Amino acid sequence: MRPGARRRFDEMRSGAADLFPRWREEHGLEIYVDVPAAEAAGLARRLVEEGCRVAAAFAEDRTEAQGCFPRYYVFEHAEDSRYLLLRAPVAPEEPAFASLAAGIPAVNWAEREIQDWFGLVAEGHPNPRRVALHDNWPDVNPLRKNFPIETVLPPFEGERHIYRPTLGEGVLQIPVGPIHAGIIEPGHFNFSVAGEPILYLQLRMFYVHKGIEKRFEQLPARHGVYLAESISGDSSVSHGAAFCQAIEAAAGIDIPERARGMRTILLELERIYNHAADIGAIANDVGFVVANAHGSRLREAILALNEELTGSRLSRGMICPGGVRWDWGREQEVRIEEVLARWEPDFSSLMEMIESSDSTRDRLERTGTLTRKQARDLGVCGVAGRASGIDCDVRRDHPYAAYGGVEFRVPVYEEGDVLRRVQVRVEEVRQSIGIVRSVAGALERGPYRAPLPPLPPDRCALGAVEGWRGEILHWIRTGADGRLERCKIKDPSLNNWPALVEAVQGNIIADFPVINKSFNLSYSGTDR
Amino acid sequence: MGHAIGVVGQFGLMLLLAPLVSGFIRQLKARLQTRRGPGLLQPYRNLSKLLRKGMVIPDTASWIFGATPHVLFGTTVLAGLLVPMVSAEAPLSMFGGVLAVVYLLALGRFFLALGGLDSGSPFGGLGSSREMTLSALAEPALMLAVFTVAIAAGSTNLSAMVHAALGQSWRFLAPSQLLAFAALFIVLIAETGRIPVDNPATHLELTMIHEAMILEYSGPYLAWIEWSAAIKQLVLMTLLVNVFFPYGLAAGWTPAGALVSLGWFAAKLLLLSVAVAIVETTNAKLRLFRVPELLSVALVLSALALMSAFLF
Repeated sequence: MRPGARRRFDEMRSGAADLFPRWREEHGLEIYVDVPAAEAAGLARRLVEEGCRVAAAFAEDRTEAQGCFPRYYVFEHAEDSRYLLLRAPVAPEEPAFASLAAGIPAVNWAEREIQDWFGLVAEGHPNPRRVALHDNWPDVNPLRKNFPIETVLPPFEGERHIYRPTLGEGVLQIPVGPIHAGIIEPGHFNFSVAGEPILYLQLRMFYVHKGIEKRFEQLPARHGVYLAESISGDSSVSHGAAFCQAIEAAAGIDIPERARGMRTILLELERIYNHAADIGAIANDVGFVVANAHGSRLREAILALNEELTGSRLSRGMICPGGVRWDWGREQEVRIEEVLARWEPDFSSLMEMIESSDSTRDRLERTGTLTRKQARDLGVCGVAGRASGIDCDVRRDHPYAAYGGVEFRVPVYEEGDVLRRVQVRVEEVRQSIGIVRSVAGALERGPYRAPLPPLPPDRCALGAVEGWRGEILHWIRTGADGRLERCKIKDPSLNNWPALVEAVQGNIIADFPVINKSFNLSYSGTDR
Repeated sequence: MGHAIGVVGQFGLMLLLAPLVSGFIRQLKARLQTRRGPGLLQPYRNLSKLLRKGMVIPDTASWIFGATPHVLFGTTVLAGLLVPMVSAEAPLSMFGGVLAVVYLLALGRFFLALGGLDSGSPFGGLGSSREMTLSALAEPALMLAVFTVAIAAGSTNLSAMVHAALGQSWRFLAPSQLLAFAALFIVLIAETGRIPVDNPATHLELTMIHEAMILEYSGPYLAWIEWSAAIKQLVLMTLLVNVFFPYGLAAGWTPAGALVSLGWFAAKLLLLSVAVAIVETTNAKLRLFRVPELLSVALVLSALALMSAFLF
């Protein structure tokens, strides 16, 4: 549950003060712990042993201001409402750092991103190949400050990525993608199969890398929200809210109660429509097409409500730094309840239909199992994490918007198969309806936007939101004249893609689509 | 002369009716799924579009890739002409009976599997291997089920079987006939690539069976293959409705008789299409490794049917 003061990090510190030499708490949301480069690995391992989850790892270029590249590891603990950011410098003269990926697999991709984008070598990384920039890129470090965003690179040639060969009698590699038959985003899946069972899967993402993190550095901070909303279209509200929370924390303002409530409603509506569509789509992937037709219909009803509430089906342009862009009248507040009152029984009858289909259950149960240990090692979060026994939810553990004041249950299952990922979604839809109702019922008239003062330079802040996929983090450092010096975006897909590799092993290749759909990760959010 | 009319008439009927049956099932499914559907005539529009388009042929393909659509179309149409549709006298019945039907269809499938492999795409190989695995079970089930009726008629010639059945209108209630019908229905679902065996509407390459084999085909070749698939479906459905319920079938080839039996034929096909659409809508696809189990059920049913044909 939600204890009033959860201070697990403080306890750890009081036990071993010498391990945390420089400790600074900001905004009541984050703790920055500065350590010398050599001590980072030891402390990180210790934090993981204490039960912390590594949420993200990233770096920034401070060579001009501080003469180094600080790198960050973001830790989270179920019993502390703050994030702990471990910060260690990397010297530009010797652009390398000791990799933690061998001991903490959760930072595997993140450290390789640092390597690709900043040119800092992750020494001792078990798989130091490129991840964010494909193999045919020239040797450039796009997130360094001395790399102008206008740079036009010559056309690339050669292999994007060389896959590891798989050997053995009757073992075959099946390349799938990056162009797929359906209307989905690009990603390459390289299966090694022996007949039908999958032995191993190699993933290749970042086909739609857009340099969004670099782009944030060019924009006035208050315009960044538009960019944030387009990081991953189906998570527009969540990414927008996370970005605004970071800006608001850096500016040191509190947003009005009414804005908190309205944001909560929009965030939950986003969760509801995505989950409903996913439940239908998962049924569709096992050939139960009727469920998909109803799932799409239910999604459409919420999208139409979004349009009535915000003028945008994906609720874009509604959340802004300081609160929300415009107010709702009484008739709009009534519409929320009207739509939900019709929607809820509709959803229940869809679930009855799916649950009464034995052939569907047979396909979902024990398919694509991700064990709790695998999920913990890989730092899996969100729906996929909760289906595998990882009890984390930013709404409950690090309350934001109006979540501190509503009661809701976080569903957690142990089995970690496709069926449990469906059940987590079903249960969350029901909880979300409850949240929307209780927040909408308590919504009082009042100001809906706080004025945003000019952003002070050189402030760090973190915005954390539980998007419908899982934990979304936006970390910013403000720069001069209202711009950002760095904006790090962490989409939950980034944590969860490597888990897909584990979940499909031993399954038959014909079941891959439904396993993939049960994770439903964002390519765009991963690639940024 | 009657023969010539029969051959031409049934040939034309098959070509024209087969896409309509596919379109009807598709439209019915769409309605059952609360969708509007593309209309009954969509398969015709697809065929005419594909026939007018250009083709992309993989660099790795040999002559087999190009021969496959023609062999498939030819064998399927020949098989169709051996089956009585609107007259108990199948146009080419003197050339062969049910064994010829089964093996003509098998020859087509063999080439289709080769065509899938020949394309060089990993999906083609995937689809071909799956198709051959399933057909190893579907084929004997089909044969045993038809043999049940053949034993009662004392002939494997389909026209002779239908003539024998026409005399005994309640014969389909015999246990052997019911079991054989059930077995053949499962074979129909499997052979036409429908849910729960295969999903004809999916875009997911990794789950496909029939569609995976033909992924690399385009333009007129694809049109021939799709047309053949529709005809094969019509032939199998005809086998089901006319061998087990020959009621309404004209004995020879007369214009009036053909018209009446055409009406009956359409009505029987309609009922069977509804059954297929309902099965497809109410079920999820089976896990690939469970499909052989379903086909084994068909095999056991038809074996039981054959045994009970001797017992009762």
